[in-house]
Amino acid sequence: MALTKEFYRALEDIVGPRNVSDDPAVTENYRCITAQSSAHSGPYETRTPKPQAVVLPGCTEEVQQIVKLCNKYKVGFKAATTFWAAMGYIGNDNSIQLDMIRMDQVEVDAKNMIATCEPFAIGATVQVEAMKNGLNCNIAGVGCSSSTLAGSAGWVGFGPSSISMGIASENLLGVEWVLPDGEIVRTGTLGSDGEWFCGEGPGPSPRAIFRGWTGTAGSMGVCTKIAIRLHPWPGPKWIPTRGAAPMYRADGLDMVRAYTVCFPTWDAYAEGFRLFYEADVCYLAHRQFNMFGRDIKTAMVEILTHPEKQFRDLPEVMEDPYIKAQNDEMKIDVQVVVAGLTERDLDYKEKAFDAILAQIGAHKSEYYLQPDIEDFVKLYLLRLARKNYNYTLCSSYEGNFGLSPNVFVAAPLMEEASALKREWEQTHTGVAAVGGDSDMGSASGIGGGGTTGWEFFVHFDGFDRDSITDSCAFIDRTQEWMIGKGLGADMGRWNADARKPDGYDYSQEEHDALYAGLPQPALAIYPWKIREAFNPNHLTGTYMKTMTPPEVKAAQKAKKTQKK
Amino acid sequence: MATKDSLVAMLGKANVIDDPKVLASYAESHSFDLHFAPWFVVKPKNAEQVEEIVKWANKTKTPLVPVSSTGVKLRGDSVPSVPEAVTVDLSGMKKILNVNRQQRMVVVEPGVTYDQLNAELAKKNMVIPGSLKPKKGQSVVTDVIEAVPRLNPMIQWNFFDPLRCVEVTWGDGTRMFTGEALAGPRDLKTQWSRQQWQVQYMGPWITDYYRLITQAQGSMGIVTWASLKAAVKPQVHQLYLAEADDLTELESFVYKAMWTRFPDEIFILNRAQAANIMGKDAGEIMQLKEVLPPWIVAVGVAGRELIPEVRFEARSKDLIDIAQTNGLDLKEGVANLSGRALYQEITKEDTGGTYWKDVYMGSHQNVFFLTQLEKTPVFLKAVREIAQDLGYPTEDIGVYIQPKHLGSSYHMEFTFPYDPNSAAAEARVLDLSEAVSVAAADLGGYFSRPYGKWAGIQLNKDAQSLMVLKKLQGIFDPNDVMNPGKLAV
Repeated sequence: MALTKEFYRALEDIVGPRNVSDDPAVTENYRCITAQSSAHSGPYETRTPKPQAVVLPGCTEEVQQIVKLCNKYKVGFKAATTFWAAMGYIGNDNSIQLDMIRMDQVEVDAKNMIATCEPFAIGATVQVEAMKNGLNCNIAGVGCSSSTLAGSAGWVGFGPSSISMGIASENLLGVEWVLPDGEIVRTGTLGSDGEWFCGEGPGPSPRAIFRGWTGTAGSMGVCTKIAIRLHPWPGPKWIPTRGAAPMYRADGLDMVRAYTVCFPTWDAYAEGFRLFYEADVCYLAHRQFNMFGRDIKTAMVEILTHPEKQFRDLPEVMEDPYIKAQNDEMKIDVQVVVAGLTERDLDYKEKAFDAILAQIGAHKSEYYLQPDIEDFVKLYLLRLARKNYNYTLCSSYEGNFGLSPNVFVAAPLMEEASALKREWEQTHTGVAAVGGDSDMGSASGIGGGGTTGWEFFVHFDGFDRDSITDSCAFIDRTQEWMIGKGLGADMGRWNADARKPDGYDYSQEEHDALYAGLPQPALAIYPWKIREAFNPNHLTGTYMKTMTPPEVKAAQKAKKTQKK
Repeated sequence: MATKDSLVAMLGKANVIDDPKVLASYAESHSFDLHFAPWFVVKPKNAEQVEEIVKWANKTKTPLVPVSSTGVKLRGDSVPSVPEAVTVDLSGMKKILNVNRQQRMVVVEPGVTYDQLNAELAKKNMVIPGSLKPKKGQSVVTDVIEAVPRLNPMIQWNFFDPLRCVEVTWGDGTRMFTGEALAGPRDLKTQWSRQQWQVQYMGPWITDYYRLITQAQGSMGIVTWASLKAAVKPQVHQLYLAEADDLTELESFVYKAMWTRFPDEIFILNRAQAANIMGKDAGEIMQLKEVLPPWIVAVGVAGRELIPEVRFEARSKDLIDIAQTNGLDLKEGVANLSGRALYQEITKEDTGGTYWKDVYMGSHQNVFFLTQLEKTPVFLKAVREIAQDLGYPTEDIGVYIQPKHLGSSYHMEFTFPYDPNSAAAEARVLDLSEAVSVAAADLGGYFSRPYGKWAGIQLNKDAQSLMVLKKLQGIFDPNDVMNPGKLAV
């Protein structure tokens, strides 16, 4: 369904001819494989639909005009910036893609610890600006090369720093948003006084329709600017690094310590987390390097931090007795960064940290106490800049299991989940054999602790049909296991009800059928009503999960009967 | 009388009240806004009855006004703004449904009060993060849902902490849980058996349902339980105080302290408000005003279960140093006010006699809004000027400034005591509070909790947010049965 010339010309009028294209060489690049999008659909030739045009707006007013134009011509649209996964891409043929790359400003109000960010202010940029002012920002697990705004308004947004800095939803202050019908809403103080410091109210918070546990994944219009809460940073205004990639050394991080904690049991792990939450000692806490897999993680870190070693050396490094012994010691582990805002603060936190370890019988990994390795971990977790490592083993991965956010539920199940994966690794060839347990993720999915944000990395070859198919089958298997344990949706299936395996949007009838068995149907019925109120032309895809209310269905049925 | 019969059939005779004296007591409040006595007061015992009442109200188009606290009504939000309303009194729903030390979570019904909850939490060495000297009979759930500022903003990663999940019956009669609790069966016991403790408040999908009942004055639905995040009870604690002659002298210290996050509690009082808190009668308040410094910043430091003394000592020394660097002397007391005594007063419910802000003159009016710390002196100056113009004694104005949400915003509250037996005094304080409200709004004060006339002032500033709000009210309360007249422009 090609766009009319009139529509295309109108787009050109809004953003200028240089900032709109329907050239297939351009539009083809705005398609996404659906094999890594929390829907793990595959096979790899399945891609999201090709947009009719790609538009690069330069300001909020241009976005508003584009959205109004789309409503006039009933053309779908979706905005994205750093395009992490399928969530940012359109879901039907009669749509255009907004690429927000031209809107990239970030400003820091140091005194009030607030940053205002446009869509293409990526985590790294925001962090650099924040650090100049003794501040830092929560960088979501997606990494520092992704849009801060997208993590805050579009998706989940927790990461290593969330234990002390909260998650994206919690840090979100004022928001500027172009609604699906083209109206602009500015939340809280922004709407009334042009100030960014509070995004709630007046009265019941309108932001309730934009940001729940996830953001809207582009399904409620276009977020054009946000303010976020910043957090204290006790390090230098910038982090001087030296050495050769990828093994940089860091200078000036005297108030920051990085440790890997080795736990004797999963019970101790859960109890350790509880104490970390209560004692307020962690600046960052993430089970990071286990993403490579239990059997190979230490060897991988050894290679990544060695100037001459390559991945082909992996088998040899794994056989190194020291590496093997260290690896065995940290089967159950977590990386923690402790940061002192003063000398006394650091001293207290170190003592508290040691007291927790003593209480649960855990200890610090000797391997990770080596200065070079400690620097590597500090830089890795503080900046979260090494997302390429996620892809190192096989070119692609998908988050899997998810287990329970309650660490006391998830931890006792970890060995069973690991065994399930290990068995698959040994009996199939499509999923990388890394030792079963490849669980990783945030020690806290909520500010101050209380829930965890875990996933098992399923490493697969994103360019191999059999590998994708096999990893899909594995996730089907783990989903069965999850349901059997009463744990809900596997993370690899979170978005399975948002976009169909062919990359297209669901119909309302399909969504109605999917949600018919919800224990509390209001969960999907109210979003239907919200969509009808704010997105009457249904132009923004089906990540907004909706179910037709029974009274509307009955009316529709009666109307049909009447017609007959 | 069909209405009464219907209510009695739902709730039993004893729980449907139409005694005029009792009805009149539900209309008493400190608010000057137009209000009415309710038609009936009903006292449901559980969520099922609440749901039934809301469905009945939709059928009969009867306005409902929820109230969960007992005692003096301070803001008028739980007093009907329209005639022939039914007040739904939830103060009898006083069950503490669950206390979980491992998760530091508690689930409570709306009638649970601070003293009741803290007595229960103390058995497990916990405490609920509180607001400044809550009135006797204050519902914890209402206090939290209405975003009354907490004394400890450092554990507010989210604006509405410690609120987590709720059970709500929306204005359309739909009853549901919110947050993680909405993803499971609508049965707490089943969720607990699965070790789901209503910790995670968001969503659980895109829509953040619980945010729709916050700051709503009961205009969206009725909450029948809420889960709240408790804190570990301090083993060692000191509320340190520092004095200043001028509010601006406190700014750099408070900003720096907020950056460190070392304080537990942190807030600012002027001498009048400190005297109001501590004074047992008008005479004592006057005496205190003679000796207290013009401004006091209070900073709490705690040590809890893990190496409490080490934490306490480190935090105390650091904060004292930071204060010194910023020209303040942070110590255990100022003048004859000890930090410990102040802490004791502000962390427990009021006595149940005359409300503490009324002790000095017999009654009071409050004006409060959100702003940023650096702007507070501008508001202070404006308020003093207005008071002077109207002949109100500026030395009687109480000021309380409370950081919220890790210091993202600051609650600024002005208290104007007055003699309710003097028509002239009452008229003057009415003029004063209205003029201050308008001036504060003009200066950028944000009435995030828009009670009474503030609704018109605030909502008229932003047509788009109002449009969103109206659409949401149309979805969740299509027949406008929930506390109509509130949040009105």
